[in-house]
Amino acid sequence: MDRRTVLKGLAGAGGLALTGGLSAPAIAQGAAARTLRFVPQANLANFDPIWGTQYVVRNAAAMVWDTLYGIDSSFQPQRQMVESEEVTDDGTTWTFKLRSGLKFHDGAPVLSKDVVASLTRWAARDPMGLMIKALQQELTAVDDRTFKWVLKQPYPKMLYALGKNNSPCAFIMPERIAQTDPFKQISEYVGSGPLKFAKSEWVPGAKAVFEKFTDYVPRQEKPSWLAGGKQVMVDRVEWVIMPDPATAAAALQNGEIDWWENPIADLVPVLKKNKNISVDIGDPLGNIGSFRMNFLYPPFNDVKARRAVLMALSQEDYMRAIVGDDNSLWKPLPGYFTPDTPLYTEVGGEILKGKRDLDAAKKLLAESGYSGQPVTCLVAQDQPITKAMGDVTADLLKKLGMNVDFVATDWGTVGSRRAQKTPPGQGGWNMFHTWHAGADCVNPAPYTAIRANGDKAWFGWPTSAGTEKEVTSWFEAKNLDEEKAAIGRLNKAAIDDVVYAPTGFFLSYTAWRKNVSGVTKGPLPLFWGVSKSA
Amino acid sequence: MLSYILRRIVATLPVMAIVALFVFSLLYIAPGDPAVVIAGDQASPEDVERIRQSLGLDRPFLVQFGSWVWRILHGDLGTSIFTNLPVSAMIGQRLGPTLSLMIVTLLLTIVVAVPLGVVAAWKAGSLIDRVIMGFAVFGFSLPVFVVGYMLAYIFALELEWLPVQGYTPLTQGFWPWLENLILPAIALGCVYIALVARITRAAMLEVLQQDYIRTAKAKGLGQGGILFIHALKNAAVPIVTVIGIGIALLIGGAVVTESVFAIPGLGRLTIDAILRRDYPVIQGIVLLFSFVYVLVNLMIDVTYTLVDPRIRY
Repeated sequence: MDRRTVLKGLAGAGGLALTGGLSAPAIAQGAAARTLRFVPQANLANFDPIWGTQYVVRNAAAMVWDTLYGIDSSFQPQRQMVESEEVTDDGTTWTFKLRSGLKFHDGAPVLSKDVVASLTRWAARDPMGLMIKALQQELTAVDDRTFKWVLKQPYPKMLYALGKNNSPCAFIMPERIAQTDPFKQISEYVGSGPLKFAKSEWVPGAKAVFEKFTDYVPRQEKPSWLAGGKQVMVDRVEWVIMPDPATAAAALQNGEIDWWENPIADLVPVLKKNKNISVDIGDPLGNIGSFRMNFLYPPFNDVKARRAVLMALSQEDYMRAIVGDDNSLWKPLPGYFTPDTPLYTEVGGEILKGKRDLDAAKKLLAESGYSGQPVTCLVAQDQPITKAMGDVTADLLKKLGMNVDFVATDWGTVGSRRAQKTPPGQGGWNMFHTWHAGADCVNPAPYTAIRANGDKAWFGWPTSAGTEKEVTSWFEAKNLDEEKAAIGRLNKAAIDDVVYAPTGFFLSYTAWRKNVSGVTKGPLPLFWGVSKSA
Repeated sequence: MLSYILRRIVATLPVMAIVALFVFSLLYIAPGDPAVVIAGDQASPEDVERIRQSLGLDRPFLVQFGSWVWRILHGDLGTSIFTNLPVSAMIGQRLGPTLSLMIVTLLLTIVVAVPLGVVAAWKAGSLIDRVIMGFAVFGFSLPVFVVGYMLAYIFALELEWLPVQGYTPLTQGFWPWLENLILPAIALGCVYIALVARITRAAMLEVLQQDYIRTAKAKGLGQGGILFIHALKNAAVPIVTVIGIGIALLIGGAVVTESVFAIPGLGRLTIDAILRRDYPVIQGIVLLFSFVYVLVNLMIDVTYTLVDPRIRY
């Protein structure tokens, strides 16, 4: 082997690696205006909206799979794939008829058997689905376009469950795909919605492509969130994953992307100054910041210790740490439900209002018997929101005279460790920080974090009989007034027992180039009605 | 030579086996759980456990390790827990951008750093030398992401000469491919250029003291010929060594650079996989990087014979 042979070999190998296997779609210049380039909130790492319930998966899935009903901006379920429904007087038998002309992306018609299989898979994973499943007598296809759900007792929130936008949504898939074990991932992505998923172009962590499904039959009504006519105005939607916010901001300014789902607050002033960019609140339902205290171990197994923390915490401190000085991005939240939604209430929220009383909080903490034991506080440093809240909490606990064991770690570790029921010194914990999408907190149905049924509750395992009683009251409520009354009582009971500590309500912006029109506010980015000029 | 190369390749097998065991053990004992990430924030502990079972993460360490090694021996790196795609396919998707970035950075480094080092040695002690070495210290000191943001601001946002982010495959044209790599390569190459320039200077200073250089000057050879033909060739061994070792630097730097410039390469895949605890992907990438590193060392040894005929294996 001589020098020339080695050099030729190296050159050949390098060239092969650079050109081989790197095929990418060549987009003609004219087609650029028909392609919407979008930077989502996170990486689309998997694409099974039932198996993986992260919001980014739900957002992508809402383009590809349609639902039987869709919740509109007034929180009402509207027909989507369904043409009509009937319910018997005793409320136990629901009969649904599908719209005609519905097709899957492989050209096959959408049939009742597909719906039955899809709902069966969904009901095995969704909290509302599990409730319906527990009441289910049978779920059967009557004919190609009609199916029937027979229950042992009425479930008044049936249509809401089928149309809700909380993850997992009741997406309709072909029967062969929907028959996959709900705890295993699907590998075929044949949808029923207005856009097709281009699996061959999917580079997880970098890019996901969706193409307009020309055989989709939109409804005639005006679109409103997940309801109404889903008219797609572009040929392709490209999701470009950008982990670095500064890069996304620069790419938007440079016209390399068209729409950035959630610019961080620090970069918004720069974007607002750019004459080619529009900035507005993206999701009006926002988020609720929270930290949860472990009911199983001292000091927070005593309600006095939990109330002492609540009495001392300043939501403004938390919100400023998250959103900075922009007052339009946050609100105090003396309760647990999303502001500006029909069931919002402040009943029982006095402890979170007004001037903070540190002395009274210290006194209450002393009454709880707290004697300086370490409080293990888990804080994910790789999530700006939890990091900001964690720093404020550490300061708060120190002011209360608590001995803080501040565990700075990453979200993956927090997610794993928070499930440990062992004592804090043996791998367990006393508190951790998170936040909830406002869309999940509009009522108790999707609101896992508000449940307080002890061992079966979410992490922290809160027990509050009053809270649980009012959750049941809400499910049984027959009209909005009854629902509001139940939620008021629920809010008070949950605050009295401190199911968790709400740290405030915050919003975030979305930003897009001015040659893009039709961007609307919603609990998820809505691509129907969005168009782009050259 | 060929038998030497074969022996070295065979010798990599135990190294790879140790790396495999180390990586697998480390991930096993590391905190975190991919099932938690998959299930989402609202999932119940029961759902998380069901997902763990379906992924086989509840099996004992030895069973999991044995099954992974068995697959590796059959040329199967496994399937990503999250994407359900083969790890080899995911690595294949990401290899091109990272390889492109590394090649452009490497070329840029050689073209810039070696002449700078040669000139600095030639003008040792002068203002030119000090300026070049000052730049080298500057290059060492600046973090990759700071250089990246500065370059993007100046050349993409202000001057609009180059794109801020992304990657275009070479199949779509040479210039589209190159324009996406210029800024990342400069950002990534800063430290590397500084390192190679300093080593080149040091190696050249030693060679320039040799008798044969004085003889060459006495014979009336031009300065360029003396520096770049006679001296540089004899100073090449340490330079080649540093360029080779620096490839490890590039791999590390590529993680940051690919994030800053949104290049869909192996660096970003690594970070994503670690944050999500996508064990098969992490294991596959670490094995690949280890193999590349071993291979680079072998190439360095072979290159010695090309630049110095006295070295024979």
